[in-house]
Amino acid sequence: MLTYIKWTFRIVLWTSLFALAHYTLPQHDVVRVVNTYQERQDLGDWTRIFWAQPDDQSANLQNRDVQFIQTVRKKTWLLGFYQTGGEEPMVFRNEDTGWSWPFYFKFDTANLQTEADDLRSVKENPEWAVMTHYGWRNELWSVFPNAVAIRPVESADVTVIPWFNIFFFVFLAVALAFARAAWRQFRERMVDPAVEDASESWDEMSERVNERRGRFRRWLDTWRSKK
Amino acid sequence: MGGLIRLVIFGFLALSVIYVVVSLYSRSVRREKLENSWDEDHPDGGDESARNAYIEAGMHAYETGLRRKLIVLVYIVPAVAAAVLIYLVN
Repeated sequence: MLTYIKWTFRIVLWTSLFALAHYTLPQHDVVRVVNTYQERQDLGDWTRIFWAQPDDQSANLQNRDVQFIQTVRKKTWLLGFYQTGGEEPMVFRNEDTGWSWPFYFKFDTANLQTEADDLRSVKENPEWAVMTHYGWRNELWSVFPNAVAIRPVESADVTVIPWFNIFFFVFLAVALAFARAAWRQFRERMVDPAVEDASESWDEMSERVNERRGRFRRWLDTWRSKK
Repeated sequence: MGGLIRLVIFGFLALSVIYVVVSLYSRSVRREKLENSWDEDHPDGGDESARNAYIEAGMHAYETGLRRKLIVLVYIVPAVAAAVLIYLVN
């Protein structure tokens, strides 16, 4: 029973962490921009969490205009590392993230929309570009990934090295290693000596009690009749 | 603007926690090193007060040294990283 609970807990924890990283960290798509548009979005329900908060006043808005970039992208698998050959439509929202989470510090939505417009191309004469984005696409809940940057590339067959993610995970590993070292140092220098102290004084105390008891017993023995 | 202020305040608080933890850790490691090096030079334990003086002198050198001041990087590096990110993204 306990094993089940432990494993359920572990699986839930790691899945959530993976989902958080997968949602938040930047990913790259090879795309051809088809069109851009702007549409009023209602923000009243729980899917609000999938929309950005570009500035303070937007926190209280029930609806606002959001810019979108319609693209056709190369299908990929394994977190986008391999192209499978097919193509599929992908629509990105284009919103400032401002000073709030996730911390992309994106303020250039209007510029990005212009760049995307500038890169529009037709199927017969495609102009490919690499779109950096974060977030998920979900048709059921109308969730869109947020475009962060776009840059034109020579051909659709490009290898993108995710430098930021590499750096991020190296940094995370270093941070965890430090946290572990700090915790061990704390235990070694602070907790263990304190525990030792406590157990020493416990030993002393029980010794004293034993001695008392011995004396008391000896005193009792004096009342017994001597054989 | 409110977002920036909020980020700066909470970021400062979080970094301050990290700063305190890092400086405590660094000081503790330095003290342990000093203890170990004394014990290596004096396998028999040596004079207790001389040992204390040696460690205190070493800790004083640490407190005034460069290494301790480098912990300020805890504040500087994230700020610079954010600035670089803002520049690169926009």
